[in-house]
Amino acid sequence: MEDEDECPELVPIKEKPSGPTAQIPVTIITGYLGAGKTTLLNYILTEQHNKRIAVILNEFGEGSALEKSLAVSQAGELYEEWLELRNGCLCCSVKDNGLKAIENLMEKKGKFDYILLETTGLADPGAVASMFWVDAELGSDVYLDGIVTVIDAKYGLQHLTEEKPEGLINEAARQIALADLTIINKTDLVHETELLKLRDTVRSINALVKILETQKSRVDLSEVLDLHSFDTKDGERLTKKLQLVKTSQPHLDKSMLTITFEVPGSVSEDLLNIFIQELLWEKTFKNKAGLPMTVIRLKGILSLQQKQKKVMLQGVHELYELEETPEFWADQEPRLNRLVFIGRNLDGEILKKEFISAVSNKDSVE
Amino acid sequence: MAAVETRECETEGCHSEAKLQCPTCIKLGIQGSYFCSQECFKGSWATHKLLHKKAKEDKTNDEEKNCVEKEVNTDPWPGYRYTGKLRPYYPLTPMRLVPSNIQRPDYADHPLGMSESEQTMKGTSQIKILNAEEIEGMRVVCKLAREVLDIAAMMVKPGVTTEEIDHAVHLACTARNCYPSPLNYYNFPKSCCTSVNEVICHGIPDRRHLQEGDILNIDITVYHNGYHGDLNETFFVGEVDEGAKRLVQTTYECLMQAIDSVKPGIRYRELGNIIQKHAQANGFSVVRSYCGHGIHKLFHTAPNVPHYAKNKAVGVMKPGHVFTIEPMICEGGWQDETWPDGWTAVTRDGKRSAQFEHTLLVTETGCEILTRRLEDNGRAHFLSQM
Repeated sequence: MEDEDECPELVPIKEKPSGPTAQIPVTIITGYLGAGKTTLLNYILTEQHNKRIAVILNEFGEGSALEKSLAVSQAGELYEEWLELRNGCLCCSVKDNGLKAIENLMEKKGKFDYILLETTGLADPGAVASMFWVDAELGSDVYLDGIVTVIDAKYGLQHLTEEKPEGLINEAARQIALADLTIINKTDLVHETELLKLRDTVRSINALVKILETQKSRVDLSEVLDLHSFDTKDGERLTKKLQLVKTSQPHLDKSMLTITFEVPGSVSEDLLNIFIQELLWEKTFKNKAGLPMTVIRLKGILSLQQKQKKVMLQGVHELYELEETPEFWADQEPRLNRLVFIGRNLDGEILKKEFISAVSNKDSVE
Repeated sequence: MAAVETRECETEGCHSEAKLQCPTCIKLGIQGSYFCSQECFKGSWATHKLLHKKAKEDKTNDEEKNCVEKEVNTDPWPGYRYTGKLRPYYPLTPMRLVPSNIQRPDYADHPLGMSESEQTMKGTSQIKILNAEEIEGMRVVCKLAREVLDIAAMMVKPGVTTEEIDHAVHLACTARNCYPSPLNYYNFPKSCCTSVNEVICHGIPDRRHLQEGDILNIDITVYHNGYHGDLNETFFVGEVDEGAKRLVQTTYECLMQAIDSVKPGIRYRELGNIIQKHAQANGFSVVRSYCGHGIHKLFHTAPNVPHYAKNKAVGVMKPGHVFTIEPMICEGGWQDETWPDGWTAVTRDGKRSAQFEHTLLVTETGCEILTRRLEDNGRAHFLSQM
């Protein structure tokens, strides 16, 4: 019998989580069926690491299932959790259901150190990325770290050359276009010449992407995680990277490629916004064949009028963001704008002309 | 944001930092009860245990009283820690029926209340441009929604339950050949949302009697002839304190200032900058988790209209766009959490939150407030009580 008059043993104060603490990175893993995504995820899960990694498998963000399984690995041990996808009124809430479910789970079961999301072979990773590229003001527990695309060394080229009906996008090419990192897997199954061709093709689509080559999806985790592809933490590295990027020569899927250009001077933020919106939202720019230019991934380091610091531009499909980096323009440094566009039907000359004409529009009030 | 909160030991005369708390208090739902050590706690035990005794007595009294008062249950989710003073008053009356001759949205008969038509549009940021006929449909439904809100407004006084208001709303809808849009939307159990004090939005009408000094938001959406019209206002219940007046006034100004900026060419992301600037200038915060939305044949669709600054919302206003602006402004912090009912959004700090909403049509030169009030020069109801 418990004596009610007995003084009980005190317990530690259970804090309600309030305010932002450390944010948890989310990496999206995509790639064609059979490319080795699952092998990669299993490798990450079973590998000895000191992180508590959650892996959400299969079709994240699709269908209307109320629960989704999730594998968690901690110190080499695996266990399963379930994400409860509540059926709240979806549309007037800014956070995606899946994101909320992850936050709820972490609130109940403690935070993970890292979250990996696998998308289906045919899914558009951009749509999933949009869910996790959350406005900073929302104070979410998670942030989007990067998109990793696994490519089959043997069949990758075949997937990339697959003819699609008019107007339809080649999913394999889109996955590469969106990737911050690609892993060419099963390199032991092909000759060096084939590999070279695949590598060139990947580069021709996405001149920014980093390429890792591996067998059986074995990779150094430090090269896959913590890419900081969407935040200004890596502004300096991005500046350097953008300087090296060249407009690519289309290889196979002729319509998907990387365009880059540089325009000196400082631009007005308002006019810049109008240019980006015409490009991403209204899709008013056309190439020489009269086809609308479609940008899938957009990056840039810009010099805006009245800003002392470099400004970073990030875009995925229609979402974009301009954010000041911590880096100042040095006194002697020439002010300039460097932009990289990855997408379809892009024409660098026309795009550069449109950019210059948009940002030098004298009619607009500054 | 505040760093880790430090708490002081509750033993009289002890000012050490507290890291422990009384387990019995947690069980009984007593807030606080922090101590620095078991020794200190033992020293205070003689007086502390009286707290437990009182809480237990209160609970028994409440239960007895509740039994008398039509078996009201204010503790449907044992163990849940409320962020403020408000409690649910269960059980709810059964879901009301809508006469079969009234046109129903697709989710009305879905077992989970899911809207297939909304789901297929999910993820698109394409904003529909309404033609003349569709605009007329929106004008009609928004006027009807306004009439329903004005009827609900007349019922707001101390002693009335939010369920009684919901009943009146339901009847006002059906009398106008309207389906009350919230009913069964993702299984929402009532015909409108009633959000009291610390409730940010989506409060479920229940048996609680409104109390003098409460602030109450009533959110009405109706469906008529294939279109939804959506608006809400915050009301004073009897006399309210100055703080409530300032909060409600500021929230209304946030909405009206945002509306003033609406015209073709303005980016939807700008609205949040305007709203947050005005809210912050008055010492208030802006709720992040809930947004304005496109509305027409679908209850909620593109565009997504955040009310906070520095958002990445997609889209530029064009003539023929119809959408809502509905800022929720808080006395304290903007952080929200949801009650176990899956709907009621409350402030995490338990402080009050107010909201106003209109459905707007972008015109060639500016905008038309489709849900404007026809009396009193369009002014919100609370202004007559200022």
